[in-house]
Amino acid sequence: MTRIAYRRPEEMTEQARELTSARGNLNVYRVLANAEKVFTGWMLAGRAILTSQTVPVRLRELVVLRTAYLMDCPYELGQHRDVARTAGVSSDEINAVTSESDWQEAHFDAVELALLRLTTELLTTRNVSAKVFEQVHAALGSEATVEVLMVISRYSGLALMLNALDVDLDETARLPIPPVRS
Amino acid sequence: MSRIPLTSIEQQPEPVREWMARRGNLNVFRLLANAPQVFDGWTQMVDELFDSPTFSRRMREVVILRVAHLQGSRYELGQHVGIARNTGLTDQQINAILDTDHLDAAGFSRTERTALDVVTELCSTHRLTEDSFATAHAVFGDEALTELLMIVSCYYGLALVLNAADLDVDAAARFQTLTGDAT
Repeated sequence: MTRIAYRRPEEMTEQARELTSARGNLNVYRVLANAEKVFTGWMLAGRAILTSQTVPVRLRELVVLRTAYLMDCPYELGQHRDVARTAGVSSDEINAVTSESDWQEAHFDAVELALLRLTTELLTTRNVSAKVFEQVHAALGSEATVEVLMVISRYSGLALMLNALDVDLDETARLPIPPVRS
Repeated sequence: MSRIPLTSIEQQPEPVREWMARRGNLNVFRLLANAPQVFDGWTQMVDELFDSPTFSRRMREVVILRVAHLQGSRYELGQHVGIARNTGLTDQQINAILDTDHLDAAGFSRTERTALDVVTELCSTHRLTEDSFATAHAVFGDEALTELLMIVSCYYGLALVLNAADLDVDAAARFQTLTGDAT
């Protein structure tokens, strides 16, 4: 059960309320809004990642799911299994990336496999081998590579917060992709 | 050597150049500016984290240094050891945070020690036991505990980006934690 109280919309600044509403009023946002002096900036950083079209949504969601699995974060897994499906990731693929090693045998293309390798190495060893890094960089270029790293950064850090606060998965509400314009 | 070319500051749009002039012309910013679609939002987050009055500068650096150490981030340590010293942490305390001296003998306040314990458990196990959470919650309360987690989250994730890119520590430029008049 969520370990601290949710902030109600009327307790948020107008900007924080709008950002939260555009992302489905999820439990994650209502909990983190407790950090009211830094919540808006954190939400803006997240909106940028969710609305950027530099990295295709399917690739992004594969990386998010792999991150959520390796960080052992039930909340992120609960949300993004459904988000990934709407981004064109099949149920079999979702099961593969959220398992220890099945993803290596699944039918992902070379770029997807390189990204999954990078994510796995980085989250298990805190580093990436030069070879794997170069595969991703050569395939995606500098801009998308940095964005992918920022996605891993965001969701690994978020996983720590969600696990620390033991945030309950929303019953039915799911993150709208892209966020709803308010 | 950074595995991704660093952007040139001169080629950044005016608001980015101004932000870097304020916070420091650092390699980390030149690296992340490769992704302009997400860079601006990230800088707003950083500004709020460092402008917030919730924690003392010293307390914030205790948390950041511990995360940087546990994540093995040469770059974050390269920047923040000096900043931590400027906020009043002693060499013994810094060494204790970096596990080369004893935490118990370093003279941390109870609040600082609680923060260090939370960061250590969270970064190494990815969660907090009921007891650890209850202790931290009693010390910090809802708002400050959540904000502490935001700092951990930012530096934990950033360390992964910096390690992956194998970013070089800046020769001399340092992150400006205070901006405006108070430099």
